[in-house]
Amino acid sequence: MENVTRRTFVETAVKGSVLALTFTLPTGTLLLTPGEARAKEVPLRKLSAETAQILEKLGETILPGATAAGLTHFLDHQLAGDPNDALLIARYFQVALPYSDFYTAGAKMSEAIAQKSAGKGIAAMSTAELHTLVKSMSAPGGVVAGFPIFLFYMCLRSDAVDVVYGTPAGFKKLNIPYMQHIMPPEQWNG
Amino acid sequence: MDKVMEAVDVVIVGAGAAGSVYAAVLAEAGKSVLVLERGPARKLSDLYSSQIWARRLKWSSPEVVETGPDTIWFNFNAGRGYGGAAIHHYAVWPRMHAEDFREKSLYGKGLDWPFEYGELRPHYDKVQRDVGMSGDATKEIWRPPGDPYPLPPVLVTNHGKVLARGFEALKMHTAPIPMAVLSQPYNGRPACIWDGWCDAGCPIGALANPLVVYFARALKAGARMQSDSAVSRVLTDATGEKVTGVEYYTSTGDKVIQPASAVVLCAFTVENSRILLNSANSAHPHGVGNSSGLVGRYLMVHPAVSISGMFNEDMENYSGATGGQLLCQDVYPKKSDPGGAFGSRQWEIGLALKPNDLLGIAMTNPTIFGAELHKFMADGARFMGSMVGVCEDQPVRDNRIEPDTKQDRFGMPLARIVYKQSDDGRKLWQTAAAEGVKIFKAAGARDAWPGPPAGQHIMGGTILGTDRTNSVLNATSQSHDVQNLFVGGPGTFPTSSSVNSTFTVHAVAMKGAHHLVGNWSSLKG
Repeated sequence: MENVTRRTFVETAVKGSVLALTFTLPTGTLLLTPGEARAKEVPLRKLSAETAQILEKLGETILPGATAAGLTHFLDHQLAGDPNDALLIARYFQVALPYSDFYTAGAKMSEAIAQKSAGKGIAAMSTAELHTLVKSMSAPGGVVAGFPIFLFYMCLRSDAVDVVYGTPAGFKKLNIPYMQHIMPPEQWNG
Repeated sequence: MDKVMEAVDVVIVGAGAAGSVYAAVLAEAGKSVLVLERGPARKLSDLYSSQIWARRLKWSSPEVVETGPDTIWFNFNAGRGYGGAAIHHYAVWPRMHAEDFREKSLYGKGLDWPFEYGELRPHYDKVQRDVGMSGDATKEIWRPPGDPYPLPPVLVTNHGKVLARGFEALKMHTAPIPMAVLSQPYNGRPACIWDGWCDAGCPIGALANPLVVYFARALKAGARMQSDSAVSRVLTDATGEKVTGVEYYTSTGDKVIQPASAVVLCAFTVENSRILLNSANSAHPHGVGNSSGLVGRYLMVHPAVSISGMFNEDMENYSGATGGQLLCQDVYPKKSDPGGAFGSRQWEIGLALKPNDLLGIAMTNPTIFGAELHKFMADGARFMGSMVGVCEDQPVRDNRIEPDTKQDRFGMPLARIVYKQSDDGRKLWQTAAAEGVKIFKAAGARDAWPGPPAGQHIMGGTILGTDRTNSVLNATSQSHDVQNLFVGGPGTFPTSSSVNSTFTVHAVAMKGAHHLVGNWSSLKG
């Protein structure tokens, strides 16, 4: 079996710790963090603009800062790729493939709940209304019209926590050491 | 026309813990060994220190059809690719106790193993020398007889010390947790740096995952490993008395026949049963090795409860091993449950915490969101304590793995899971949840709460026993029906105990592998 020296470990650990993903721009392919991809307005490949907006609104309500950290670009990147390479916690919850169907259905169901409860769509909701909506989704085990709304909430919440706190920069925000052999690059989140 | 490969002595299906032991023992005995793995190849340098990237160590799609009423948490517990589930396991390696092997005889509950603890002890002792275990046997007052650990205990931070106070206040004992993690350099491998990335895979080799110890030895002895090879069936001769090899599919969908003198199935609990059931032929109409009708039966999962709490002192919870720092088995005696449930329990104390992922800080209370979640994360990063209670599940015949009507991309039936947690297991979980909160409060927690019911370690389906009236395999993990067919992994366990399964997986595999080598001329096909 391969002998991992400290040097090779350090090199690969850097690669793995950053969550820098390959995004395609008109000018070429770049290695960007999801936050950088959002800042550069990299076009989404899988999510529709409407679905992305809903996911972003919900994600920002669940964990403020998730938008700037590139939640929707992270999701779009993962949903557009090979599911075997997906970095989503949906894997652990045995969400059926394709994952994009689950996120699209979750966005639609959330929108339907918003319309029914507040008489308006998620895009038009105030911060307080969004908070009420998310609270209704966060009841453990919740199912609405046959859709596992709590599972959707759990996955989206975990995705938001991943991009905000699951990286070296996120650990730094919490004032805890990343505890790898090396200090990874600090490009995450600019 | 199917492609037929050159025959090997032994084909091992699955590149996880059990497969690694069989591969090393057989290759070092001079046998030609081929290990076929359904998932991808993997090197140690692929193991990134990130809970996010570590998700690639597990399957992406629902690999089984879980029909309930309870889940076995297949995707979280199983592993994908070289190293199998043991590539992301926590390396908590307590031994099973003597009574775990004789529950039916002693208590009239569960099943008996076809051997007693004493017969497995030398294999436990050998494995712990091979891998370099850390611990303090003298402090484990519950531990069955065995050699001392070769290395001193793992790191105990303030996290472990604070939680130990709670146990002491309730007159309970703790001991350094026995771990297959190096507290000091050992056999050319470096010591752990206590970075808490165990379940993301240990790239420095301080944790004894299969790539580090037994597969390294197997490859050195000439064994070959082949990824992206999905074994679909075990093949037998016309009489059905001997296996002749396996059939597998490549990633491009080509069907290949791999002849072998012996086959060892080590594809984890569910897949081993699935392959045997899908291998039905005229000589084995209900599945190869299934004259007992028990292939797929007695599926078990440890009911597990996470206890989380906030303290008023810095817990240093970012450091240490993911599996914990201390162990308590005061609640191991089978009849110690105050509610009358049968079975054992244990506590793994002081698990290193990361902010994200299923066992991370955020997920300990998923109902918190918004600005409160940021506060919770900041609080938890410094003040959260964590431990896990593991409970025994009972072997129930109706809990099973069976072929589903849905098929995989090669046209083979997927495995359907029918599982309901045993009544005893459910009651033990409830006792543990209440007890855990009490311990945290006694340790000074300002708040403490149990997580939702969860399951760890999938066992059963191809259980050991004395004969085909009660089991699929004999005491050496050999099929009762087909003499050159062996099975490894936690699926061989007739009872679950409440200890983590990987150490026993290694020991049982070591026993079987040595039997196969020692009786090669009479067993091979």
